[in-house]
Amino acid sequence: MAYSGRLPRESLLWIFAAQFAVLLPHFARLPLWIVAGWVLAAWWRAEVSRGRRELPGRMIKLVAVALVVGGLVLSYGHWFALEPMVALLAVSFTLKNLELVTRRDAFLSLLLAYFVAATLFIFDQGIPHAIYGVLAVLVVTAALVAQAGAGSARPRRALGLSARLLAQSVPLMLLLFLVMPRLGPLWAVPQEDASATTGVSDSMSPGDFANLSKSDKPALRITFDGPVPPPEQRYWRGLVYADFDGRRWSQGFGVDPREGGQVFWRDNEVALPEVGPRYRYQVIQEPTRSQWLFAMARPHSATDGVGETRDDRLVRSEPVFSRLAYEVRSWPRDSINEVTPMGDFDRRRNLQLPDGGNPRAREWAARLRAQGLSPSETSDAVLSFFNQQFTYTLAPPSLGADTVDGFLYDTQRGFCEHFAGSYVFMMRAAGIPARVVAGYQGGEWVEGEEYLLVRQYDAHAWAEIWTGERGWQRVDPTAAVAPERVRNGLQTAAADEFMRDALVPLHRFPVLKRLQLQWDMINYRWYRTVVGFDSQRQQDLLRELLGQVTSARLALLVALPAVGALLGIWAWLWFSGRGRRAPPAARLYRRFCRRLARYGVERRPGEAPADFAARVGRELPHLGPMARSITTAYQRAAYADDPAALVQLRRLLRGFWPRLRRGPAPGQG
Amino acid sequence: MQKIISAVVADIGKVLLGKDHQVKLALACLLSRGHLLIEDLPGMGKTTLAHALAQALGLSYKRVQFTSDMLPADIVGVSIFERDSGSFRFHEGPVFSQLLLADEINRASPKTQSALLEAMEERQVSVDGETRPLPQPFFVIATQNPMHQSGTFSLPESQLDRFLMRISLGYPTREAERALFQGVDPREQLRQLRPRLDRAGLAKLQALVGQVKASASLLDYLERLVLHTRQSQECPVGLSPRGALALLHAARAWALIHARGHVVPEDIQAVLPAVAGHRLQSESGDGAQLVERLIRQVDVIAA
Repeated sequence: MAYSGRLPRESLLWIFAAQFAVLLPHFARLPLWIVAGWVLAAWWRAEVSRGRRELPGRMIKLVAVALVVGGLVLSYGHWFALEPMVALLAVSFTLKNLELVTRRDAFLSLLLAYFVAATLFIFDQGIPHAIYGVLAVLVVTAALVAQAGAGSARPRRALGLSARLLAQSVPLMLLLFLVMPRLGPLWAVPQEDASATTGVSDSMSPGDFANLSKSDKPALRITFDGPVPPPEQRYWRGLVYADFDGRRWSQGFGVDPREGGQVFWRDNEVALPEVGPRYRYQVIQEPTRSQWLFAMARPHSATDGVGETRDDRLVRSEPVFSRLAYEVRSWPRDSINEVTPMGDFDRRRNLQLPDGGNPRAREWAARLRAQGLSPSETSDAVLSFFNQQFTYTLAPPSLGADTVDGFLYDTQRGFCEHFAGSYVFMMRAAGIPARVVAGYQGGEWVEGEEYLLVRQYDAHAWAEIWTGERGWQRVDPTAAVAPERVRNGLQTAAADEFMRDALVPLHRFPVLKRLQLQWDMINYRWYRTVVGFDSQRQQDLLRELLGQVTSARLALLVALPAVGALLGIWAWLWFSGRGRRAPPAARLYRRFCRRLARYGVERRPGEAPADFAARVGRELPHLGPMARSITTAYQRAAYADDPAALVQLRRLLRGFWPRLRRGPAPGQG
Repeated sequence: MQKIISAVVADIGKVLLGKDHQVKLALACLLSRGHLLIEDLPGMGKTTLAHALAQALGLSYKRVQFTSDMLPADIVGVSIFERDSGSFRFHEGPVFSQLLLADEINRASPKTQSALLEAMEERQVSVDGETRPLPQPFFVIATQNPMHQSGTFSLPESQLDRFLMRISLGYPTREAERALFQGVDPREQLRQLRPRLDRAGLAKLQALVGQVKASASLLDYLERLVLHTRQSQECPVGLSPRGALALLHAARAWALIHARGHVVPEDIQAVLPAVAGHRLQSESGDGAQLVERLIRQVDVIAA
């Protein structure tokens, strides 16, 4: 019982509740032993408060710290990443329970709880997390309130006061949200975010896109500023695969910026077309843990840290670990007239084929080549072959060693990656430079064309061929087989197979689908207005509010509401603290007392009027009779409710002030 | 009416020399239909005061000396079987009087104390399942030795609360004591006291107390006082609503005694030590200092 006297049990329970509230979302992310550690520490502390156990001694604490450090090393192996840091914070927070003795310790633990609550937003900034964060702060504040003693720990009272405090802090929060400078991160902390979906990867082998087609997670959200491209133009290019090893398509060496691929990071490095861009839009991309971004052909982005590659893609200087927004301007290829000729290196790269394999396809390509057709005629021949014989399906049969031959002549069933891969193989074999492009195609309008939602199942692969006079041209072999895939999306093209493996076939219920879209829209707006409120948008808003952002005006913006709020609080305290207005007689009498106090006779609070009058008579004899009659008048006015006495009191006081000012008559002392 | 009151005060003043304030308080207590507790050492004139009051107001007077072996029946009365009539007849105890002096109430056991206190509160007694009303008016003056004296059962707070006032007489001044030595024997004086009031007159006076005006300003002051006792750290127990009401009644009676038709703060301040002193327990020392501080700290005039 030695310690229980210092922290009452209710406040201890509140601390545990606060700790649980802030740690709960981390529990899923942290190793299980940290959870167990927290439970153990809390249990131990609870036992102490019940008098069954002493607080651990120095040795036990040291052992606990050593165990925890060892555990962290074993669990993570590296330090400078977010997860181990958060784990360290959670663990020290947990161990603090073993030292929870005084009220000061309680405050420390709860302040730490606020910090832990803030770390939630490192991992996710969505609406559910935000709501949970507010709830956690509510509980932590209630726990803080509960430390005040004297019944403050009662749940309703603590939570009520906490809610009131939080509500009162909302204006300040909004103000800070608007004007607080948005600092960039001091350093980028690598984050192992399991929630990031890779989506399109940097290589394509059979089956990749079939997997993507099973996910309805959002990938991109696109808002257009101005004209909107027609559905058949919505090809969001992310990756270009130029290297084929007989089974797998990949970018090839030297394309990725990490491998030294050339990227134009600055605006003036690459000449932009002279005509204006046809499309301007903003893309909000879900985290992918990779660097490539998605945009329509011939893109340019003014967003910091986004550059263009030589094959008309956008990449970012760092992997996209959290939701990223970027502005894009696009010049479709048909709007650009001049064509940069293709260099030898590019020609070789885009004609590359493995040395052997797929003899039947090569033979057919050689035949087409022998006919002396132009690139577009060759392409048409292949596409019409696709159109006549092939079936679009999400569940293609497996292919043998010669994947192209197997697909073209045996199975003839497949989806975008098969069509794109075989098509490019055929083109290259026929001597036409070609490449596979991967990204997303299509998208779904949300809320009356407010934005275009592109999901993982919109992942797509298509081809580009070099036509000499017109440069690179997009060819979508899938469109030759299943034109509805391009026009209306995957769901129409493969109605039966679409999302067949989904646990809950949401897409079959229009209501649920609409709800899903609504929810996505709410998320989108949340991201646009709250999470995406970066320094740029802050500047814009401040400029809109202030006209011109100068430090004086900014100070005014902060100071005016603050001063206003303080004045309001002051006025409220003034009016509510004053209570009822004192009756007129009391006010007159008070003035009488104040005036006398200036002459050295001050009425003590508990001194009744008659006693005071007697004292005035003793200390200022020349005023004695006057003070007595005033007091009598006051008493009659205040306590006998005599209206005539009030009038008399006024009259007496009017006569009294001059007497008071004149001071004692000569000779009276 | 006013003449009668000052005459009564003067009459008793002749018997109990130099204790005008206490006499007036006792009278105020009686006029506001409350009971009085006098706490003082033996021989200070407690009994004399009670007796003089009874005489001057023309009340029937009985005195009970409380002892530790007293039983409730000794106060309330008992039913005794009478062979003549062949039935039980109730013999009224001393409680059936208009003014009862319960001397040294804290010498009796709690059981007996509570029998009296019950009678004081209800103004009736129940014996053998029969409820008998007490005479009107019914006024108890209990005396009590200071607590630390041996052989006493201190009255619990709830029972102290039944007394409207608790006063102590204190030693007489030098002049008063000299006058006592030189003057006529007080017991002789007591015998010569003639009632100034009859029962109807007393009832009328008691009714007049209720008509004394207590203005809003005064009630504000009263509220501030009461609130202070409830909020101040110094007072572990604040003044109950009954205590506040007692304060108002006593102040009204005090104003009436002083020939005023309205209560002024001075009235409240005058009766406050007697009314609140035994209701405000303080951990350190007695309620008197607490009341003194209370009077000093609470502003008489509304802010």
